[in-house]
Amino acid sequence: MNVAAFVLLAAMLAAYVLLDGYDLGVGAVHLLFSRTDRGRAAAFAAIHPFWNGNEVFLIASGAALFALFPKAYAAAFSGFYLPLIIVLWLLMVRGMSIELRGHFESELWRGFWDVAFCIASALLAFVLGLAMGNLVRGVPFNGSGYFQGTFAFLLNGYALAVGALALLALSMHGAAFLWMRVDDELRESARRLTRFLWPLVAVAFIGVTAATVIAHPITGHPGLWIAPIAALVALASVAFAKKVALALAGSSVFLLALMASAAQTLFPHLLPAFPSGTGLDIYNAAPNAYSVGTAFTAALIGVSAALIYGTIAALRMMRAK
Amino acid sequence: MEGALIADRIQFAFTIMFHYLFPIGTMGLAPFIAFYTVKGVRRHDERAIAIARFWAKIFTINFAIGVVTGIPMEFQFGTNWAGFSARAGSVVGQTLAMEGVYAFFIESVFLGVFLYGRRRVSPTFYAFSAVAVWAGSWLSGFFIVATNAWMQHPVGYTIAKDGTIELRSVGAVLLSPFAWWQWAHVMTGALLAGAFVVAGVGAYWLLSRRHLEIAQRIVRAGVIVGICASVVAIFPTGDRNGAFVTRDQPAKLAAMEGLFNPERDAPLAIFGMPDTQHDVLIDPFYLPDLLSFLAYGDFRANVNGLSSYPRDERPPVELTYYAYHVMVGLGTIFLGIMALGVLLLFLHRLFEMRWMLWILMLAMPFPYVANEAGWMVTEVGRQPWIVYGLLRTTAGPSPNVVAGETIFTTIGFAGMYFLLGVLFLLLILREIARGPES
Repeated sequence: MNVAAFVLLAAMLAAYVLLDGYDLGVGAVHLLFSRTDRGRAAAFAAIHPFWNGNEVFLIASGAALFALFPKAYAAAFSGFYLPLIIVLWLLMVRGMSIELRGHFESELWRGFWDVAFCIASALLAFVLGLAMGNLVRGVPFNGSGYFQGTFAFLLNGYALAVGALALLALSMHGAAFLWMRVDDELRESARRLTRFLWPLVAVAFIGVTAATVIAHPITGHPGLWIAPIAALVALASVAFAKKVALALAGSSVFLLALMASAAQTLFPHLLPAFPSGTGLDIYNAAPNAYSVGTAFTAALIGVSAALIYGTIAALRMMRAK
Repeated sequence: MEGALIADRIQFAFTIMFHYLFPIGTMGLAPFIAFYTVKGVRRHDERAIAIARFWAKIFTINFAIGVVTGIPMEFQFGTNWAGFSARAGSVVGQTLAMEGVYAFFIESVFLGVFLYGRRRVSPTFYAFSAVAVWAGSWLSGFFIVATNAWMQHPVGYTIAKDGTIELRSVGAVLLSPFAWWQWAHVMTGALLAGAFVVAGVGAYWLLSRRHLEIAQRIVRAGVIVGICASVVAIFPTGDRNGAFVTRDQPAKLAAMEGLFNPERDAPLAIFGMPDTQHDVLIDPFYLPDLLSFLAYGDFRANVNGLSSYPRDERPPVELTYYAYHVMVGLGTIFLGIMALGVLLLFLHRLFEMRWMLWILMLAMPFPYVANEAGWMVTEVGRQPWIVYGLLRTTAGPSPNVVAGETIFTTIGFAGMYFLLGVLFLLLILREIARGPES
């Protein structure tokens, strides 16, 4: 049951990365994508109906971690104190920029929110990667099961590299999403941006994967190589895609494979100890079996139902287009 | 550690009170939006659709700010209240996760359909999505209130060997009568605020002689819903909540009523300022025997005072007392305003009585005050417990986060929320000035 709970949690986080990933990515490439007000307005319009719903996955994943593994939630959130609060502020700035930009015709007003949107989105993508890097690397637990994640500790080479990978990968994902959602010459701009980004993503991915494999050699089942190889194949499909559907599918599979690699490296830990020690795993961070079972069942039903009615709603919206 | 506790509490109080302003708006307006959409679709009433779409714009602004200020609430359980989360997360994590995966998904998916699908989906599905948004927002309210109700009156748990509180029966948590009556009262409070906003905006348009037909319709709806909600807020929901407090949290009751010593035939203090140095009410105005009756249905009943409880189990008196009196006082005034409104409505005089329209317009902010005050009674009155009778608030904070960090982030939140507040008012006032699409 605890293993299933871990898988569900990883799947919810992956869904978050996939969904909010494209609107974060659209933000990160926002200033590069177009220099005209029309182009930038089109980028906002492309994500406006979705961003709020996508962020719900962040809330739901956080809450699922809380319910399934309360001790890990308590230790991780208090340990990564300042970075998480900064994430919150960035989310607010981003939300404001998306909702407010279109309300006034002024060039200054729009220019301000364009820059705020781009910086906040890029920083968020980077910080999420930074957090993921530190999660895989481990944190310095004290005797009582807590730690203080100061920036001096968190800004290490490995985590910075994962942060860069996250920023590049989400930028590519966002560019591919724009490629699908905008028209005419903007479409060409999005396509060029996707093409420009994939080699950078490839370099970052190979570097991070090499560093990860050196620190955590893949010793178990050879099946563990599937996720990193799938990531490479997906990246190749972005590189050679003529059709946008293939490029977007490629970047989506790439992100899922990234998340799967991170999850299998982490498993069965939720928060490993650095440089060594026991840390928090799916057993010692979990309450009684009834509690885990209840949270798992509730989250599974809720997410499945949301996927069903979300798909129905999306299909009905598209059918009439 | 003491400094960190105070900083954590101030931050939580500030961020939750700011956040809650927006759920009041969404939960209070959602029923109106659903009503007008269903009516508009069934009767082909374009004006009802226009009304629904106008309120949906206001709803959306509230929803967006509600989401961005709501994420910090969930985060804070982990960042600042890790002690509480690690010890009680097995229970409170459940209801919060359910809010995420049930209510929140429903609300955001169908809000998307409602906002962007008017010309894309069938009218029936369009109306259904408006109702689903309402259901989602009230369901969200349920899970949050169920979490709080459990902290007020814990049920369905066991204590593990290491002292953590673990879930034993999710049914007991979700079906707790304490939770259901608290939810009913909280939803009524939000609906009351929604009714005042709807009536108040309509009154503003009537006073400025714009959108007359729509304004008359929404003033009528606001007043009718408002009288129902202001009655239900007092009886049965307010009364039932009082009964639960009397039974489960008698020290809170004593603080709410400013009753320092146990009394037979306890009087009800309508006014008076608590003096906690000498344990008396200054300048009290009492209604004799009434507190005994309200608490126990018997004018002769004994009511325990604060002195019946050890000092370290008493809530802070001043805040609890004033918050309670503000809520009840305003609730009584709301009933009066809405009763007058309904009376004038039935006499067909409401829309000409400009003084009454002025009252309705100016009354708009006060239900927000009453809602916030009600939560202050609930939360301050729960002290010194974070989980009533099980876990003290002093055990709640994160051991690895110091006061200096929390003060820093509180200053940041204050700046951010000031900006959000200004932008919110700007956007809302602009929508009200524009009015419904014709």
